[in-house]
Amino acid sequence: MSLQTLESKMEEFVKVAFDIISFSCIMVLVVSGLAIIASLMGIFNFAHGEFVLLGAYTVYVFRELGMPEWSGMVAAPFLVGAFGLLLEMSIIKRFYKAAIAAMLATYAIGLIIRETIRGLIGGKFWAIEAPIEGVFLIGDSSFSIWRGIIIILTITIMLGCYLFLTKTNYGLKIRGAMENPSLARACGISTNKLYAFTFAFGAALAGLAGALVVPLYSLFAELGLRFLVQGFLAVMLGGAGTFEGPVLGSAMIGAMVPGFQWLRTEIPFISYLLSPVFAEVFVFITAIIIVKFRPQGLIQKGRI
Amino acid sequence: MLQIINKISFFKAILHKQGRVIPIVEILLLILLVITPLFVGDYLTVIITRMLILGLLAISFELCWGYSGIMTFGQGLFFGMGGYAVALFANKADFLQLWGVVPIGLIVGACASFLVAWLLLLGKRPPELIFLALGTLTFAYAAERLVAGWYWVGGGNGMSIFEYLRIGSFEVEPGRLFYYIVATILLLVYLACRLLVRSQFGLVLAGTRQNEKRLAFLGYKVQKFKALVFCFAGAIAGLGGSLYAHHEGFIGPGNVGIGISTMAVLYALFGGAGSLIGPIIGVIAIESISFTLSDIDAVRGYWPIILGVILLLVVTFKQDGLLGFVVTQRERIGSFGIIKSTESKSLENLHSLKNEKKDVSS
Repeated sequence: MSLQTLESKMEEFVKVAFDIISFSCIMVLVVSGLAIIASLMGIFNFAHGEFVLLGAYTVYVFRELGMPEWSGMVAAPFLVGAFGLLLEMSIIKRFYKAAIAAMLATYAIGLIIRETIRGLIGGKFWAIEAPIEGVFLIGDSSFSIWRGIIIILTITIMLGCYLFLTKTNYGLKIRGAMENPSLARACGISTNKLYAFTFAFGAALAGLAGALVVPLYSLFAELGLRFLVQGFLAVMLGGAGTFEGPVLGSAMIGAMVPGFQWLRTEIPFISYLLSPVFAEVFVFITAIIIVKFRPQGLIQKGRI
Repeated sequence: MLQIINKISFFKAILHKQGRVIPIVEILLLILLVITPLFVGDYLTVIITRMLILGLLAISFELCWGYSGIMTFGQGLFFGMGGYAVALFANKADFLQLWGVVPIGLIVGACASFLVAWLLLLGKRPPELIFLALGTLTFAYAAERLVAGWYWVGGGNGMSIFEYLRIGSFEVEPGRLFYYIVATILLLVYLACRLLVRSQFGLVLAGTRQNEKRLAFLGYKVQKFKALVFCFAGAIAGLGGSLYAHHEGFIGPGNVGIGISTMAVLYALFGGAGSLIGPIIGVIAIESISFTLSDIDAVRGYWPIILGVILLLVVTFKQDGLLGFVVTQRERIGSFGIIKSTESKSLENLHSLKNEKKDVSS
């Protein structure tokens, strides 16, 4: 093999690696909110995907009002977080003792949000530009700046969450409530307040994720559903009830999407089998099969 | 003392008498089923036929959720696959016979649901409820994406069936005859389900819903029972889909995925989960409202949102649905097992078990 082909192979590899990392980061961003709510409150939030959609929609509204995209992206987590808090205080609060009813209720809330937004944006696809366009170069290959920013932001936020949960007093309370809610209440920790705060926090993370990724995808009503399904698979792959598990799982799901794309270009026979539509379905099926043979998830008993 | 006991037994007798409401509702609906097309026009008959077909879908969801505690957002998948199968047979092989359409729907639904059950239910350890709910949701979503992007089955436009259903060489147009065919099928399916849930098999299911762990300790292979019911329900949904495709003359991605699965959930919960007749009432109620509202332009666009609000209200305030207004909790307990308290109890058990596990591991 000549040096030149080796170099081009290297370049290709770097590109694929960048793709994998950026997709993984998006998934991590989306899933973390879901995982935090699920592991603290024992409620699987079916409306989480719609919180992502709401974040994306906020950016769209800000743009329609004539403001720059970045202002919408800054505002999205706060607005969606406030919305989450409101929802928690009015509806979710009733369902702490019945996880099944909570599941149905959040599903209904998700349905309402999705259909409302579908009505508002008129069932179309809306492209939204990233606030910072362009590419940066490493060697000869170019990478989108916006994806780079998402990667950096994700890592910062995850680090922040980790430090918040492990180092602060509030994080200690949350971990205590996660471990044993009744004991936490007996110690004078108001778990209800904690739950409300956590729900709002999870919603805010989802809103931020939606606002950040909407330039990569476009805004459409099913955006949230897609992330909900992928997020669920990520939690299942990684193992529920831990912090690291879902992060690892979402990294894997994030890696599979560009991974299959890459396989298509590499092996000509597969390219027929894996048209883009099949590739997405294939990701789901692969994930479900992995979960079937390793139902406890990749990380079993990790603790922060 | 004796008086008090007498009084109590007297009240019990009254309650018991009052408790038999479900058979009355069933008989009333049966009478309605038989006489309705004689009084309404052809157009309305077609609309009602559609309701009855969707009733099959609702029953299949009810078998999963109300009787074996499998929360499924994937009934639409089997419904749509049944529809797509017969549409393919009609378009590619020109096969339109009724005696073939029914078994095709049943078999396709059963096979597809067996595959899903094998992946989700028959694992090394019993799956959590959330896992089942989201797993089925994933399959439904994946299937919708798949058929929407697959041109051999019509892509986003779906597939139309241009010819009518046939018996021999006789064509069955949507109308009164089609109505009675569907009504007969629905009645047979309903009776079969009723037999199933009232049999010893149904007793095991009721036990499973009450306390899955205990049943497992008694030696029942709980997951296999659940998988069996899931396959049976899948077959019914497939049958519904095959009839739907022929009745509407069309099947598309919208009939496969999340949308129709949500409708199945909504029918059953609105009508009253935990009884077989509840979902049928739910179908009739929701589809009637939908039909009435579709004439009003101002409201039509908001219909999906209204459905979401209805679902939220039912889950929040009236978990036993419309049927809960006439059927006492006691009757349900007597004939079908406790619904509400089982749910919260089994969850509490789960939670306490989880905590115990955590304690042991730490």
